[in-house]
Amino acid sequence: MSITTIHDVEFGAELPVFEPDTSLANVGVFARAVGWGGPRFKSHEGARKEGFPGALVPGIMGMGFLTSAIHQWAPVGQVEHVDTVFRAPMLADTPAIISAVVTDIDEDDGIVELDMTVKNTKDETRVFGTARVKLPLS
Amino acid sequence: MVDLEELKGKFLNTEFASRDLQLEADNLIAAATASGESRPEFVDTAHESFQATPAYLCSISSGRHLPVDFPSLGGIPMDGGKAVERFAPVKAGVPLTVKAHLHEIYDKKGRSGRMIFIVVRTELFDEDIAHLANIDSRLVVREKPDS
Repeated sequence: MSITTIHDVEFGAELPVFEPDTSLANVGVFARAVGWGGPRFKSHEGARKEGFPGALVPGIMGMGFLTSAIHQWAPVGQVEHVDTVFRAPMLADTPAIISAVVTDIDEDDGIVELDMTVKNTKDETRVFGTARVKLPLS
Repeated sequence: MVDLEELKGKFLNTEFASRDLQLEADNLIAAATASGESRPEFVDTAHESFQATPAYLCSISSGRHLPVDFPSLGGIPMDGGKAVERFAPVKAGVPLTVKAHLHEIYDKKGRSGRMIFIVVRTELFDEDIAHLANIDSRLVVREKPDS
């Protein structure tokens, strides 16, 4: 269900699952766009030489996945605040699963609070966080 | 063991970095699209409110992470996470000013020792000194027992 006003939101509702593109090529596009061009984001071999198990997805790209999931769920919502904790590295070419749940609703001010996670296919949390989203009152 | 109260007294809320910059539209679109973003305000320069995504704003905070005279805490600072608070759209092609200060210093103690958390707040302003956004970078340092 697409959310258009604060009254469309239900406490405890889960956002539709969002599976982002974590391919090495796409990670490279993001890393170049934000000015992070190190080997760890460009190739698995380069990342291994730096001591990582493979090429990394930048932590802030994980934040980008989370806000994209919010925008797909609530196309008119404005993410006022988003806070992410980078618990463990996300690896390129490894599927990531974004999930989020509504943890609070303020119908007077049109504010929704969300808890969000980025997990791998082993159900291990890579990034988690919260977001405060402003929605129209009507 | 590092005295956090002393660190707070010396470093908190004192600006240690400042720079001017302009965001490039192509980079904003590339980063947004790669993140799975499809809303026009983030991927279409023709949109009246074309702007940077919160994740892109986090990249602005990179650069000098700590004041030059900040003491070594014994370990290498790790990127523990980032937060963005937005007050107004951050647009491409307009002059921006970035200012950084240490916003918070705290610790957590566990079985493996003490972890020190340092929150660097980067504030983003436009040329009219309107406050557009705050970006908080959380650095985590595992203190060495003898430091």
